[in-house]
Amino acid sequence: MVLIAVAIACGPADGQEGSGERSDPRLKRESPGEFQFVRLAYSSNSYSRQWRGRQPWQTDWPDAEHHFVRGIDRLTRVATAEKGRILTPLDEEIYDYPWLYAVEVGNWYLNDDEAARLRDYLLRGGFLMVDDFHGSWEWSAFMSSMEKVFPDRPVVDIPADDAAFHVIYDLDHRIQIPSRMFIYSGVTYEKGGVTPHWRGIYDDDGRLMVSINFNMDIGDAWEHADWPDYPENMTALAYRFGINYLIYAMTH
Amino acid sequence: MFEALFKYTPADYARSELVYTGDWPAWLIVGLALGAFFLVGLFLFQRRRSASWVQLLSVGLLQLSMLATLIWVLLQPTLTTERLREGENAIALVVDNSASMSYGVEESRFATALRNLATVTDADGAPRFSVRHYELGPSVRAVPSFTESLPDGDGTDLYGGLLSVLEEARFSPLAAIVLASDGADTRGRLDAGQVAEIANFGVPIHAIGVGRDTIPEDLELQEVTVPDKALPGSTVSARVAIRHDAPLETRIKVYDGEDLLQIVPVALVAESGVTTAWVEVELSDAGPHQLRFSLDAIDGETELRNNSRSTLVNVASERYRILYFEGEPRWEYKFMRRAVADDEDLVIATLLRVSPNKFYRQGIDNPEELEGGFPTTADELFRYDALIIGSVEAASLTPAQQQLIRDFVSERGGSLLMIAGPNGLGNGGWGQSALADVLPVLLPPTTTDSFHRLKVPARLTPQGQASQVLRFAADNTANRDAWLELPEVADYQVLGNVKPAAITLLNADTQDGLLPLMVLQPYGRGHAYVLATGGTWRWQMSMPLEDLKHEIFWRQLLRAMVASAPETVSLAAAGGQEGGSIALRAEFRDDAFAPMDDIGVRLVASHESGEALTIAMLPDTAEAGVFAGELLPPGSGTWYFEAVAERNGEPVAVARTSLLHESGAAEHFKIRRDTGTLERLAAATGGRYFEPGTLDGVHDLLRYSSSGITETEYRPIWNAPAVFLLLLFLKAGEWLLRRRWSTI
Repeated sequence: MVLIAVAIACGPADGQEGSGERSDPRLKRESPGEFQFVRLAYSSNSYSRQWRGRQPWQTDWPDAEHHFVRGIDRLTRVATAEKGRILTPLDEEIYDYPWLYAVEVGNWYLNDDEAARLRDYLLRGGFLMVDDFHGSWEWSAFMSSMEKVFPDRPVVDIPADDAAFHVIYDLDHRIQIPSRMFIYSGVTYEKGGVTPHWRGIYDDDGRLMVSINFNMDIGDAWEHADWPDYPENMTALAYRFGINYLIYAMTH
Repeated sequence: MFEALFKYTPADYARSELVYTGDWPAWLIVGLALGAFFLVGLFLFQRRRSASWVQLLSVGLLQLSMLATLIWVLLQPTLTTERLREGENAIALVVDNSASMSYGVEESRFATALRNLATVTDADGAPRFSVRHYELGPSVRAVPSFTESLPDGDGTDLYGGLLSVLEEARFSPLAAIVLASDGADTRGRLDAGQVAEIANFGVPIHAIGVGRDTIPEDLELQEVTVPDKALPGSTVSARVAIRHDAPLETRIKVYDGEDLLQIVPVALVAESGVTTAWVEVELSDAGPHQLRFSLDAIDGETELRNNSRSTLVNVASERYRILYFEGEPRWEYKFMRRAVADDEDLVIATLLRVSPNKFYRQGIDNPEELEGGFPTTADELFRYDALIIGSVEAASLTPAQQQLIRDFVSERGGSLLMIAGPNGLGNGGWGQSALADVLPVLLPPTTTDSFHRLKVPARLTPQGQASQVLRFAADNTANRDAWLELPEVADYQVLGNVKPAAITLLNADTQDGLLPLMVLQPYGRGHAYVLATGGTWRWQMSMPLEDLKHEIFWRQLLRAMVASAPETVSLAAAGGQEGGSIALRAEFRDDAFAPMDDIGVRLVASHESGEALTIAMLPDTAEAGVFAGELLPPGSGTWYFEAVAERNGEPVAVARTSLLHESGAAEHFKIRRDTGTLERLAAATGGRYFEPGTLDGVHDLLRYSSSGITETEYRPIWNAPAVFLLLLFLKAGEWLLRRRWSTI
């Protein structure tokens, strides 16, 4: 938590969006849009490592959301805030943002309070998209916290006919979206996670609450949308997944 | 005294004209007057030196007055009066023999009435008229004489009864009607038109009011008003009016059949009057519900029949359809749908514009529904019971579609809800659209950005506090507290002025003060709502999962919207609560809600016992597609009505309803004397109102009635003692003055 706080506090120094939005509740300030991209700042587990001094949850930040929200703005009618936000699971304001994005969740650790908060958030109607974790070891690390959130709800493959794959784009042809390293290595998978999985956790009424994008890196595809070397079709597909998840979250 | 001096009563003078019956020629009278004037003048002239002018003038005036009085006596002044010819006229004695006349403390109202009516005809000095006797209840009947039987009429129809008596007397001389009644009319109080119609016969009606205006030891459940239609699982508000004549406390109990649903304590604060209370009743199952509302008896209360009323509520089992047209994906859309997802009676079909060129549909019945976008025909739109328009620009719909929405509200009777949004309400140009008249507010122009993503609390207005739509708790204080504890809504939109006929249910407590947040107005056959926020979803996200206020708000709002939308066919039955006849009204419209004016309607009324009657239904000349009929039910119980519309002998539509009828119950309500009605009736017809035992003068009133066969009565007044006393006074005065002055 200390690291999260330090990271959030350091955010405004680089002039990027998101971290400067920590608001004083006494101030009346207009919300910048109906939808604001919120990145979940979680605690890291003991096996996680920082890269260039950044926490795992900061991966791809801020370019990923910077590019993605412009895509949302261009391709949909969603009134989108230009800048994103960063919130921790225990932040009270989390309830004002019914859509969350968490990256590198193979490194996350949720204590009991955070798990309970996330469970409450999701059951009230919030939506969580997790992304960029690979291989069986990271899956286990992800599930060790996710099972605290929902000990009794199964993680299932999202059926091909689920509205999440059709709400705005028909995503019948789904391929693994690789990280930037694919440009150099030519390999689309990481850490043994060869097969991509689009999984989810549903509520009692059959509504998707958590979209689990395993063995793929949608965030990297958003982040590198302006890289000439990154395949355009991967970026386009990543946008489509993100937009479908968002529209699904706003309609179901 | 007056009569001793002037021979007759003041009333005699009041109703008489003064004529002169002396047959002296006019020249003689004029000559006498001139002669008198000359003699007085000569008398004064001769004494002009011995007396002052004041003395001369005083004596002269006295002499002239005396001579003028003598000439007036010679003219033989006489009173002429039209009076009824005895033996050739009739009076009608009408006694109210309805069941309410059995009330009374020491003697019954009926006995009081008979005793007072007897003095009209039987007492000394009573004029000799033929007397007709009538008993008046739900109808009137002539009887040879009154008998002291138990009054048991199961209703009172003053208007119909008096008209019958008057119609019967149209061709015979009826001098007056003397009515003894408590004035309680189970057909409703006489209105001004009915009184005028009775007065047009020109027959005075003298009313004797029996009974008490106030009965402190009695409570009366005067009225229970509930919606005749409700949705399963919904809570209906019943308005209960209690008549009382003392400050008291009681309880209202509500039963559904034999099941006790609710007990509500009520404080009756006023000394005397009607106290209104609201009772919320939850009706879970579909089908007819016979609700009985009952008041606890108070100390000393003996008449308990008027403490209870029953009414029938039909809980519809059909599913209502709502069309929600939204211009952008937003959280309100999601959470509203979720709030009513479990409501089996509501279906929300949505048309959501997700991208500039793509619509997303949810809740549709079939792939063809809304396939072409927003409906363009009445058939397509009018199949919905309610319409929600969100953050959509008015320009996204054609003028014809806007007009269609207007017709949806005014003609079809649907409910429209417009929700705030960056592209909605004023921002969307709806204030300049064909819907501007429909909306309950004057929207600001598009040049002003009226939508603000600022969190604000929603505050109940007094009207909102009373609204069932905004009720989270039956208790008013608890409900107000619940609203105060609600999280802020996520945004609000500034509306213009609220229209005069509109009701503001919620305000937004903004930095600029209170602004209307939820406004409602009726428009044509339907209703238009404006909700100036798209941020009630915060109630769901910011409150514990177990808290259902967000769900309750949307369910109650949407249910209220669809419940008020009429069907294409409807059948209403009214009037059964208090006995009397049941008025039936059937309305038939086609799928586009155009009146069906080329049909005939056949109605069958079936009693719960199996008895069936066919009722004639006649078209309403004022309203196309509407047919009316009346049933005078022969007994109590539930009646089931089925109206079949037929075209060329083939049935084209059917409407059904049912009603609980309680014969005779009305007489045990309205048991207080309605003095006002009796006084109005007497005053309008030229009669007089009497309290029992104070019928002095009634004989004269009857004798000199303006109605019937009359004769002219001449009564000289020249020989009244007052005239001779006047002459004596004038002559004595002159004598005393002249004696005192000794100069004249």
